[in-house]
Amino acid sequence: MTRTKIALAGEGGQGVQSVAKILVEAGYETGKQVLYIPNFGVEQRGGVSIAFCQISDTKIGEPRYSKADIVIMLSDRAIDRCTTYIDENTTVVYDTSVCTKKPEVKCKKLIGVDANLIANTELSARVFNIIILGVLLEATHVLGLEDIKNAMEHALGKKFDAKPELRELNYKALERGMNLLKEKAGV
Amino acid sequence: MVNKLIKEDTKMFLTGNEVLAYAANAAEADFMYGYPITPQNEIMHTWCKLLPKTEAGFLQTEDEISAGFSTIGGILAGRRAFTATAGPGNVIMQDAMSMAEMMRIPFVCAVMQRGGPSTATVIYAQQETTLTCFGGNGEGYRIVYSTAGHQDLFDYMIKAFNTAWKYKFPTFILADGYQGKMREPVMLYDPASRGITMEKTPAILRSGVSADMKANHIRNTFNLEEELMEELDKYEEEFNRIAPEIEEYEEYKADDAEILIIAHGIVARSAMTAIDELREKGIKAGLFRPITIRPLAVKPLRAACQRAKQILFTESANGQLARMVLEKIYGITTPYSTLYKMGVGVTGDDLVQKVESMVKTPAAI
Repeated sequence: MTRTKIALAGEGGQGVQSVAKILVEAGYETGKQVLYIPNFGVEQRGGVSIAFCQISDTKIGEPRYSKADIVIMLSDRAIDRCTTYIDENTTVVYDTSVCTKKPEVKCKKLIGVDANLIANTELSARVFNIIILGVLLEATHVLGLEDIKNAMEHALGKKFDAKPELRELNYKALERGMNLLKEKAGV
Repeated sequence: MVNKLIKEDTKMFLTGNEVLAYAANAAEADFMYGYPITPQNEIMHTWCKLLPKTEAGFLQTEDEISAGFSTIGGILAGRRAFTATAGPGNVIMQDAMSMAEMMRIPFVCAVMQRGGPSTATVIYAQQETTLTCFGGNGEGYRIVYSTAGHQDLFDYMIKAFNTAWKYKFPTFILADGYQGKMREPVMLYDPASRGITMEKTPAILRSGVSADMKANHIRNTFNLEEELMEELDKYEEEFNRIAPEIEEYEEYKADDAEILIIAHGIVARSAMTAIDELREKGIKAGLFRPITIRPLAVKPLRAACQRAKQILFTESANGQLARMVLEKIYGITTPYSTLYKMGVGVTGDDLVQKVESMVKTPAAI
């Protein structure tokens, strides 16, 4: 299959949609077919927020899919809402430092990461979602680190120019996220 | 005159709402009237963001009733004006749309369907299909294009203005929250580069005060029953006569299809995904997608239904398109089955499973 289906879910305000935008922007810039649907309720903040992303080498038909290749769940409610997108071919990542339960799913691989804790203790709460982006990058292998960095520049460049240390912080978070998954894969 | 932003072919990565604003500009629309409702807000946002460059106009009204009638006002004055709405907004704008039907006003509106009834969801549905095609009081005539992604949104938004102004029937782009909010690549272009000339938009309502300006009296009020029917009979005759020029449809692997999926809008894309997978498994499935859902392309629709051994209707609604189609394929005895998900997206997998079940146990209706 040349198509990768990703569902990224969390609480509104966790930065799920921002990460998805960077991811699909990177895909678009590298010439891939991409389709991204943000999904959220009527509330401005809070509620479960899901980003459905597809990155493909060929034209994408269906806007929504039944089962994803990668599901990332960043809250208990996200686990409840997104279990339906998981089957035996799905890699599932959840945040152990936010979720109070372990997803009860039959899947290809279940990986727990403590990105929220790392963000709060080692980096900054603001880059929690960028750590997740690093995890996602490592889990999919569809896009390269440079592609993502370029897309981050596109989305956050102005902020980076005003405060160059933010660029370093975000890069660190991205790499920390990638390493997080590499460590898990090694276990 | 507005400034056109797209002068040469430009590939962009946009949301569908953004695409519609760019398309309206490419079509040289000079005024948008609107009232915010999710999931169409970004049409207005984008239109307004571009105003300093386009030098077009925008008016946010107090509600959709006003947005609809303001649009009519702009059009009567000769502006290539349009509006956009969704859900409950689509319901309360029907009064103005009805007036546009009666007075033959080239009203253009993009409808980004959301879940219903009432507030329901802000996300997605195909539950405004009947409303958008037949929402007015009385039996007016309208043209409805159902799009299936961003290239369609751009192409048909441009076309909608020309259809409306050429034939003087209200014309709709029927899309949905997925198309409005999702991002995918799209090619923007100057219509002239595709050989498209925009219809002129002369003022419809003329005062007749000066010698060279003949008054034009258009009516939505009639004194006698017969007077009304005479007018509506004329509209019907005209609509039926021009329908073949307007009708559009798309077939995908439908020539030899034993199971014909009938779907419109974004659901048709899920059907294509399913059809590719089913064909790999040796199941001959195909698609008939009406692009104009009013008027329907009846001849090719009947031919496709006649050829197939079974039909599958699928919608993110409870059979709104199916009811329109079934009326038009009266007399054809091909059995059919349905997969309806009210206000929920239909996936390729949903359709693969459904078609496989139809191969095992054929439809009986």
